Amino acid sequence: MDWMALLPVQILHGLVYGMVLFLLASGLTLIFGMMDVLNFAHGAFYMLGAYFSYSVLVWTGQFWLSLILAPLGVGGLGVLVERIFLRKVHPYGHVPQLLLTFGIAYILEDVVKILWGTEPLKVKIPPLLSGSVSFLGGSYPTYRLFILLVSLSVFAFLFLMLFKTRIGIIVRAAVAKKEMVAALGFNVPVIFLLLFGVGSWLAGIAGVIGGPYLITHPGMGGSILVDLFVVVVVGGLGSIQGAMLAAILIGELQSFGVLFIPQFSLFLEFLLLAAVLILKPEGLLGEK
Amino acid sequence: MGSSRVWNWLLLSALLVLLAFLPKLLSEFRLNLVITMLIYSLVAIGFNILLGQGGLLSFGHAAYFGIGAYSAMLVFKHFGFSLLPGILAGGICGALLGILFGIFLARLRGLPFALLSLAFNALVYAAAEKWRPLTGGEDGLAVRRPHLSIPGFGSINMFSTVNFYYFVLVIVALCVLYCWFFTKTPLGRLDTCMRENEERTGFIGYNTYATKLLVYVIAAFFCAIAGALSSSFQEFVSTAIINLDKSAEILILTFVGGRGIFWGPILGASFLTYLNDALSSLTQYWAIIQGAIFVVLVMYAPDGLAGLIVRTKNWLFDRVPIKKG
Repeated sequence: MDWMALLPVQILHGLVYGMVLFLLASGLTLIFGMMDVLNFAHGAFYMLGAYFSYSVLVWTGQFWLSLILAPLGVGGLGVLVERIFLRKVHPYGHVPQLLLTFGIAYILEDVVKILWGTEPLKVKIPPLLSGSVSFLGGSYPTYRLFILLVSLSVFAFLFLMLFKTRIGIIVRAAVAKKEMVAALGFNVPVIFLLLFGVGSWLAGIAGVIGGPYLITHPGMGGSILVDLFVVVVVGGLGSIQGAMLAAILIGELQSFGVLFIPQFSLFLEFLLLAAVLILKPEGLLGEK
Repeated sequence: MGSSRVWNWLLLSALLVLLAFLPKLLSEFRLNLVITMLIYSLVAIGFNILLGQGGLLSFGHAAYFGIGAYSAMLVFKHFGFSLLPGILAGGICGALLGILFGIFLARLRGLPFALLSLAFNALVYAAAEKWRPLTGGEDGLAVRRPHLSIPGFGSINMFSTVNFYYFVLVIVALCVLYCWFFTKTPLGRLDTCMRENEERTGFIGYNTYATKLLVYVIAAFFCAIAGALSSSFQEFVSTAIINLDKSAEILILTFVGGRGIFWGPILGASFLTYLNDALSSLTQYWAIIQGAIFVVLVMYAPDGLAGLIVRTKNWLFDRVPIKKG
C-alpha cells in the first residue's frame, strides 16, 4: 500500500531525470544524430557550461544572467572547435572524429581542473527556485519542476525550428543531401558550423541547469556521456521526438529500477540499448 | 622490390635480437614497462583485425580483455591451473563470449555495430561489478602468478620478471605471427573484401555473416589472451579492466599506431604506453599533453604513426622521374 503513495513521486523523479538527459542529449541529437559527428567532447562542453555558470554566479550573483552567458560561451567554443578541427577531419569518418573529440575532452577536463580545482563545487539555486511546491499531497522541489519546464521549452524550440521554419527545412535538407543543397546555392559548411554551435550551446544550457541538480565536478561530463549516446541511439538518430521518448524511458527505468530491482538497475539501460539495436537498429522513432 | 624485402627481414631480425637481449640492457623496473607494451601490442593487433582489416568499429573490446583477465585469475585460484593452460583458458573464454555476442553483432556494420558492442561491453561490466562473490567487484581479485610447468622438463619460476618477460614475449610473438599469416589467408582477405563492400561480397556468393562472426571471434580470442597475460602480469584484476574507458583506450592505441599497416598497432601501443608512463611521472596534468597529441595526430597524420613513417620513407627514398631540362 505504501508504494502506491510513492508512485506519483517516483514517476516524477524519473521524468525529471529523463528531462535532464533530454536537455543534454538534445545537442548531441543535432551533432551526432543529424551531422553524424561522433562527438565525445559533448560531455566536456556540458561540464564547461556548469563551470562557466558557476563563475558568472560568483562574479555577479545573477543566475538568469549565467543562463544566458554560459551557454553562449560554450556555443562559441563549439563553433571554434568545428571550424578549426572538425571540419578538416569530417570526411575521414568516425574514428578520427572520435579521437579528435576525445583529445579535446581530455584537454578541457584538465583545463577545468587547473582553473577551478578538482573538488566538486556547490552551485547555488536562485531563491525563486529553491523552495518546494505542494503537489498531490506531498511537496516537490521547485527546481526540478523548473528543469522540466526548460527541457520542454528546448524541445518545443528545436521542434518548431526544425519542422516549421525555412531554416529548419534547409538544415534538414543539408543533412540529407549535402551536395544538392550546396548546388542550390546554400553555404553548407556554414550550416554545419552553426548546427554544431547550436548543439554546443544546448550542452551549455544543460550544464547551467544540470550543474545544481547533479554535481558540478570535472568528471561530470565523462560519466554521463555514454547515457547520452544511448538516448540518441535508442530514440533514433536525428529524431528530436525520439530522443525525448528515449530520455523519458531511461529516466523512468532508472527511477523504478533502483526502487524495485536495485541489483539489476545497472543493466536496464544497456539491455534496452541492446534490444533496440537488435530488433530495430534505426531506433524507436528513427527513419530507415 | 627485392632489396626492400631484404631490408624488412633485416629490421625484423634486429628487433627480435634486441627484444631477446633486452633483459641484459634494461633494469627490472623498465622491463615491466616493456612487458606492458608487449601485452597492449597484442590487444591492438587483435583489435586491428576488426578495425583496420575489416573496417569494423568496435567499442566493446574491453569485454574480451576483461574476460580473459578474469578467467585466467579464476582458474589459477580455484582450479590451480599452471600458467600456460590458464592463459589458454582465458583466450577460450574470450572466444566463447565472442561467439555469444557475435551472433547478434555479425548482422551489423558501422555505427549500429559499434553501439551494440558498447552495450554488450557495458552489460559485461555491470555483471562483473555485481557478481562480487566471483569477481570481487571494484575491489578486485589478487592471485599470485603460478609457475610455468612444461611436461617432461619441470617447471620454470615465473616470479622472476626476466623469466616472465620471455614467456610474454614468446606468447605475443606467436600470436602476432598468426595474425600476420591471417592477413594472407582466404578468410583474412575476405575480411578486407567485406570492408570494401559487404553487399557485393555477399553477391559473389560468400557467406558474409559466418565470415564476420569468425573474424570477430578470432579478434576476441587474441584480446582475451592479452587480457589473461595482463592479469597474470599484474597479479591483480578489477572491474577497471572491463570499463568503457578501456575499450576507448584499445581503439586509440590502434588508431594512433595506424590501422592501415600491419605493424602500426604495435607502434601505437608501445608509443602510448611509454608516453603514459613518462608523462604521468612528469606532470599531474598529463592528460592535456596526451589530448594535444591526439588532436595533432588526427589533424596531420590521419593514418597514424606508421602511416607517418611510411610517408616519410617514401618522401625520402621514392624514385622520382628526372625531368629533362
